[in-house]
Amino acid sequence: MTRAGTMAGLANRWGFHAVLLALGALMLANLNWPLVQSFEFVFIWEYRIALLKGFGITLLLTVEAGVVGVVFGTLFAIGSQSAYSPLRWLVGAYVEVFRNTPLLVQLLWIHFALPLVTGINTTALVSGIIGIGLQAAAYYTEIMRAGIQAVPRGQVEAAHALGLPAWTRWTRVVLPPAIRTVIPALLNQNISFFKATAIVGLGLLVGDFFTAALRVSNDTFHFLEPLTFAAAVYLVLGWQAGRWTLRLERRLSRGER
Amino acid sequence: MSETANGTNGGDPIIRCRGVVKRFDDFTALDAVSTEVRTGEVVCIVGPSGGGKSTFLRMINGLEGIDGGEIVVDGIHLPGSKKDIQRVRREVGMVFQSFNLFMHMSVRENLILAPMTARKIGRAAADERAERLLERVGIGDQIDKYPSQLSGGQQQRVAIARALAMEPKVMLFDEPTSALDPEMIKEVLDVMVELAESGMTMLCVTHEMSFAREAAGRVLFMADGQILVDAPPARFFSEAEDERQASFLSKIL
Amino acid sequence: MSFDYNMILRYYPELLGGAWVAVWITALSLACASMIGAVVCIGKLQKHGAANRLATAYIDLFRSIPEIVLIIWVFYCLPLLFDIGIGRYSSAIIALSAYGGAYMAEIFRAGVQAVPRGQVEAANALGIPVFHIARRVVVPPAIRRMMPALVNFLTELLKATSLLALIGVSELTYVASTLGSKTFAYMEFYTAIAVLYFMIIFPLSVYARRAERRRLRRTGN
Ligand SMILES: Nc1ncnc2c1ncn2[C@@H]1O[C@H](COP(=O)(O)OP(=O)(O)OP(=O)(O)O)[C@@H](O)[C@H]1O
Ligand SMILES: [Mg+2]
Repeated sequence: MTRAGTMAGLANRWGFHAVLLALGALMLANLNWPLVQSFEFVFIWEYRIALLKGFGITLLLTVEAGVVGVVFGTLFAIGSQSAYSPLRWLVGAYVEVFRNTPLLVQLLWIHFALPLVTGINTTALVSGIIGIGLQAAAYYTEIMRAGIQAVPRGQVEAAHALGLPAWTRWTRVVLPPAIRTVIPALLNQNISFFKATAIVGLGLLVGDFFTAALRVSNDTFHFLEPLTFAAAVYLVLGWQAGRWTLRLERRLSRGER
Repeated sequence: MSETANGTNGGDPIIRCRGVVKRFDDFTALDAVSTEVRTGEVVCIVGPSGGGKSTFLRMINGLEGIDGGEIVVDGIHLPGSKKDIQRVRREVGMVFQSFNLFMHMSVRENLILAPMTARKIGRAAADERAERLLERVGIGDQIDKYPSQLSGGQQQRVAIARALAMEPKVMLFDEPTSALDPEMIKEVLDVMVELAESGMTMLCVTHEMSFAREAAGRVLFMADGQILVDAPPARFFSEAEDERQASFLSKIL
Repeated sequence: MSFDYNMILRYYPELLGGAWVAVWITALSLACASMIGAVVCIGKLQKHGAANRLATAYIDLFRSIPEIVLIIWVFYCLPLLFDIGIGRYSSAIIALSAYGGAYMAEIFRAGVQAVPRGQVEAANALGIPVFHIARRVVVPPAIRRMMPALVNFLTELLKATSLLALIGVSELTYVASTLGSKTFAYMEFYTAIAVLYFMIIFPLSVYARRAERRRLRRTGN
């Protein structure tokens, strides 16, 4: 009798399978078979250039989120450790605002409201790049802060005791182990931003991969094929990246011991 | 009284093990163990680490399946149906090295849960029983505290009271004092001695040789999944009849 | 430019109405997601066999597909695939529940697995019936343990409701967009809803963080 065994007793193994079979049968019986038979995946090939271009923008946004996020996240995290309290407070407020409001609202604000303040109109893509960059910086700040705080106090104190200048202290003593411990978290966060690029795409009509797929649907009046194809692409890439990250995480944690 | 306490003239066998086998994958943890425990007997099990003592106790309480032979507890045969296992568990109390109190429940709730759900006893009767048993183990004033507010010795005494609340016919102890600081060991052993003197049938895995000397009627020596020696304490500690027993005794005495 | 508070004052019933829609869709989706999550969690807790594989597949599937893609797919494709009429609101709840089920399953699993093995063993040794072990010994500490993660997920779900604007569900973001394009007061409305979202979500994440820190301090794991 294990924990799992107890729960299993509740579920009753056979009842569980019976319910699953019934659900599966119900779904198959209600499928729109004429539609399924009329599936045509040829559109995806016909629109391959548009889809590839879209995928390029998706990749661009993903990489941008990672690079901007890590650079500014690290800077902000260092700021959050500052002895100067207004700076700490500012970083904290920034992080909280961008983590506790929806990305779509941030994007809409940047694209439609911000130009009213600055007087500079930005294209959808530029707004998207700014928006996802700002949010990425907030999320990566949190991660980097956790990494910095995980560095044993004694290391920092030793650096102080040796009289190392701040630059050396951060770049040689604190940041290397901090970044090392958070690499898996950084990668997982970037997978999340890979998924979030679709929000940028659709929210601001940046021509990303998902918007391109939706445009194929609108042009051809075939919704299932392009949208399912797009979902499958995100699924395969996101899932595979998650597995690599997990494997890396295991290797890193083994290496530590 | 003293006769039941030292167990040599106990009543009918309440636990009977015949050729009990336990395997973990291809490793044989218990290799055809046979023995009997009579009503009112106090039996101590000693032996080197990994010898199979815990496994043996856990099988008597149905916590581990049986791969060969059988165990009969108070007329109920194991291996048996789920119902049989539940019946055995109601007759057999168990005390663990790590107490395993329910940390999110008060001491009182720890004591009344099993009587109310497994024995279907009313709340008032369960409460009354809980209070009485806590008095008996000497911590009647702690009834509304949570386990984390108690010392290790107090927690283990709560665990003993919790097992007794089911009014078991047999009590199993698996190294009940091994996780305790030295100054707390005695308070737990005192409870166990009192329990033994009251005529409870007990099977104790322990490293406390003083307890084995004082309270046990028999001492079993287990190693490599077998009972190598079965002797009264006086003889067990004075003359080794087995080579491994001798080396074990030389290490602990 | 100036910030026209009168715009917000004039349209605040619409904005609050949108917030209310976001809240009840979140509540309903969370309830459905919990039920799906409980079933998937039980499947995942099986050591092997079809149930475990199916549960794993479910979790991987709905955690890998972006929420917005799922929402759009359910809205456009599900009605076609089964030849049924599903409204915006139903597709929204179906999509969020399916997505939430995967996360809830993992949250439940972490909670159940955090209950020390010895607790269940002691309950078994006492002969407590399985149902009571689950209800009295496993579930209460599991719930306490998973509260921070659950509230955290609640904030994710609230943020995800903003995506429903893209299929025309008139929740907060949608209301602000329509009002914005009607009055061109984008600044006012988008700022107002950002503040509203923040006021709902921020206290929850503060609670989640505090609870997590308390738990870490107490149990250390
Ligand atoms: N669940 C399990 N799976 C695999 N092997 C196990 C399991 N439980 C026990 N064993 C093995 O069975 C053997 C007997 O274990 P047991 O815990 O009964 O020993 P013990 O005599 O109680 O030792 P100790 O004094 O250390 O408590 C050991 O070799 C142990 O590794
Ligand atoms: Mg043991």
